[in-house]
Amino acid sequence: MIVTPRIFLRLAAIVFVAVLLQAAFFSGVPLLGSVANVVPVVVVALGLLGGAVTGTVSGFAAGILIDVMVGGTLGVSSLALMAAGYAAGRWREGYDIVSSLVPPLLTGALCGVAALAYGAMQLTLGIDATVSPLVVREVVVQALLGALLAVPVFPLIRRVLRPALVDDSARARAKAASARAGFGGRSGPFANIRGDRGHLRGL
Amino acid sequence: MYRKQVRRRRAVLVLLVVACLMLISISISEADSGPLHRVQNGVSAVLNPIGEGASRALKPARDLVNWFDETLAARGENDDLRQQVADLRAELTETQDAAEKAGYADDLKKLMGSSGLDAYEPVDATVTAHSTSTWYGSIRIDKGSDDGIAVNDSVVTSQGLVGRISNVGGGFADVGLLTDGTSANAVTARISGKGPVGTVTPVVGAPGKLEFTLIEGGGEFDEGDELVTASFQIQGDRRSIYPEGIPVGEVDQAVPAEQDVQDPVRITPFANFDDLNEVTVLTGGPG
Repeated sequence: MIVTPRIFLRLAAIVFVAVLLQAAFFSGVPLLGSVANVVPVVVVALGLLGGAVTGTVSGFAAGILIDVMVGGTLGVSSLALMAAGYAAGRWREGYDIVSSLVPPLLTGALCGVAALAYGAMQLTLGIDATVSPLVVREVVVQALLGALLAVPVFPLIRRVLRPALVDDSARARAKAASARAGFGGRSGPFANIRGDRGHLRGL
Repeated sequence: MYRKQVRRRRAVLVLLVVACLMLISISISEADSGPLHRVQNGVSAVLNPIGEGASRALKPARDLVNWFDETLAARGENDDLRQQVADLRAELTETQDAAEKAGYADDLKKLMGSSGLDAYEPVDATVTAHSTSTWYGSIRIDKGSDDGIAVNDSVVTSQGLVGRISNVGGGFADVGLLTDGTSANAVTARISGKGPVGTVTPVVGAPGKLEFTLIEGGGEFDEGDELVTASFQIQGDRRSIYPEGIPVGEVDQAVPAEQDVQDPVRITPFANFDDLNEVTVLTGGPG
């Protein structure tokens, strides 16, 4: 990802809107005995699209915003979200997204990791209450809801950040070239990513 | 070039992790009036109107989703409720006197009158944000110190106790819920009419459940026994946070008298923590 000042503003806006939506909407809508958490979904999407640095910084900023807006211990949410954002970014730097199922599945898994990390830190910092085994269910539900939320959220964020994405720019150029040559390009939010990365490596 | 990227990535990661650890450490160790908390409250005060606006704007969407959820749940519960209504009708015929006292609103009114809660100034508030995790049971409300709210003021709904004010700013306040496992929100409570005193604590990961552990007194519990807050005072100034007599919840499962009650007893709170939109803060009070 090429982070220009304009793209930086878009990234900041995405993180802010995600935290605002979480505090004002998703946290007030119980689902499957829990609440959906859109913030790790957005952080993982930013990591998958922008790499480890983008994912880590987004996780840090989102965590600080959450702790300030909801009144938690500063830094705890940041650590959990940074873990998810960094892992997503490292995945993006090491592997290709070969299927449209990869972002939701990876997001689900990393949402579970973030929930686990958050719980582990709370345990480390001291919980003045009995911890129920149902916490495991909470982690599984968070992973499931994260995977479902990623289906609309990932393409949406990809669309917002498209001007900064190297893969998408290369794909757009390739599509334009094939259109000029009279061939139809592949379409869809995740199509042809592998081929483009391979093409870029060859350059 | 690649090595430079790797070094940059590692440097950012280490820097941010260290920043997080420092923030956690300072946040836990410093007093509520410390500089970091003041900065947090200052930023909060700036962001709060935005959050409040978003919460109000999105309320119709939340209500719509909750309406679908409640409609689906209501269909499933319909048969059970019909059976319950039949049982309750039979019970009503047999125990008219007890049924007169069974209305929760009457109980609350009576308890408020008899335990001196009339001396408190109720401040109605709207919930503007909910915590994002079952580990944190907290909400933010749209009233603060400007409305006379102070830290440790009790927060109730028409159903019963919700929690206490944990942090307050000019136009907002944070409420530590009874279900919050991360702060000292244990409530001293007793079975209404029976008297065994104990503490009510949350069960983390099991939303909507509390536990009651006896401190003193006998051990017979009936399903549906009501718990109310038990106030106490030690050596003059030291006293419990919550006023006497606020309804907390009811016992889930009966425990016979002959059983030695050592283990916590499961409690279902009266307040519906899944659907907190309006709450009341009891400010002021006697003395």
